[in-house]
Amino acid sequence: MGTTTYTPLANITLGSTATSVTFSSISQAYRDLVLICDLKGTVLIDIRLRLNSDTGSNYSYVYAYGDGSSAASGSFSGDTQMSLDFISYATSTNAHISKTEIMDYSATDKHTTILVRGNSGAGVDMSAQRWANTAAVTTAQVRPSSGSFAVGSTFALYGIAA
Amino acid sequence: MLIPIGFFGAGGAAGAYELISTTVLGSSASSVTFSSIPSTYKHLQIRGVARTDRNVAFDNLIVRFNSDTGANYSRHQLEGNGSTVSSSAETSQTSIKTGRLTDATSTTNAFGAFVIDILDYTSTSKNTTVRTLTGAETGNTNRTIVLNSGAWLNTAAVSTITLDRQLGTNLLSGSRFSLYGIVG
Repeated sequence: MGTTTYTPLANITLGSTATSVTFSSISQAYRDLVLICDLKGTVLIDIRLRLNSDTGSNYSYVYAYGDGSSAASGSFSGDTQMSLDFISYATSTNAHISKTEIMDYSATDKHTTILVRGNSGAGVDMSAQRWANTAAVTTAQVRPSSGSFAVGSTFALYGIAA
Repeated sequence: MLIPIGFFGAGGAAGAYELISTTVLGSSASSVTFSSIPSTYKHLQIRGVARTDRNVAFDNLIVRFNSDTGANYSRHQLEGNGSTVSSSAETSQTSIKTGRLTDATSTTNAFGAFVIDILDYTSTSKNTTVRTLTGAETGNTNRTIVLNSGAWLNTAAVSTITLDRQLGTNLLSGSRFSLYGIVG
């Protein structure tokens, strides 16, 4: 019998609007983290992610998406945050759902790499993203590009065993 | 909203997702193999990060089952490379190519990441099907994100999985491969 894992670390449902959701003091006892978001915005929003409160130009990513009529790919080097959507934005009526795999987050010998798949009524996207820092991830902040996350938005963080 | 979660990090109740084995390379290795895989689960998942020593353009993570090196694999993929989206397929291959890893041309400390789902691996009435998400933010123009579907054209139960680099000589130290079982 293996080690049971996929441990829920936090499960948040917003009872009021929020301009950010921050997971802090993240246990270092796991190998990967998985962040599941199911959210709406008070306005049309993109969904951003920052690690360890790093607001520097230390995030890079490559993405691809389809919106039902076309598909596209792009990349960015040296952004000040990651993005959990590239077409799968949320609105006040359409939810964004995403699964973000934060790999080897407690390692200190490599940059943090994440894989994201996002879906909404606007389209579907996937991305690989890198935080150019070898520090272990202790904080993860999810924030909207503008406005706020709507009431009822959910954020769940899981730890995957080492 | 600030959620301190350190003290929530206790072990969860007995559930359906279990760690079977983890390999972290302390030195370079040509491949990683999970063998004698228990047949007590319904599905498997491999999660990890890896970097190879190839010093030209890029390298790919490949998967083989039960040490089968014959032309018994096929795949389809959807790939974004930072400028274009493409779709491709291969049949009669000697492995399933899942997507790019970082290599010696990539930014230092950058590793490619992958999540590989192996469904119904103990079944002896169907070929083994896999779904993979592999991404490498390499810090150069070789960056990619790939969604892949692969098949091993053999109805045998899976007892061994080999993860390998397609083009380079070795997987590098710090590469990590974890095998999980999902209870059915």
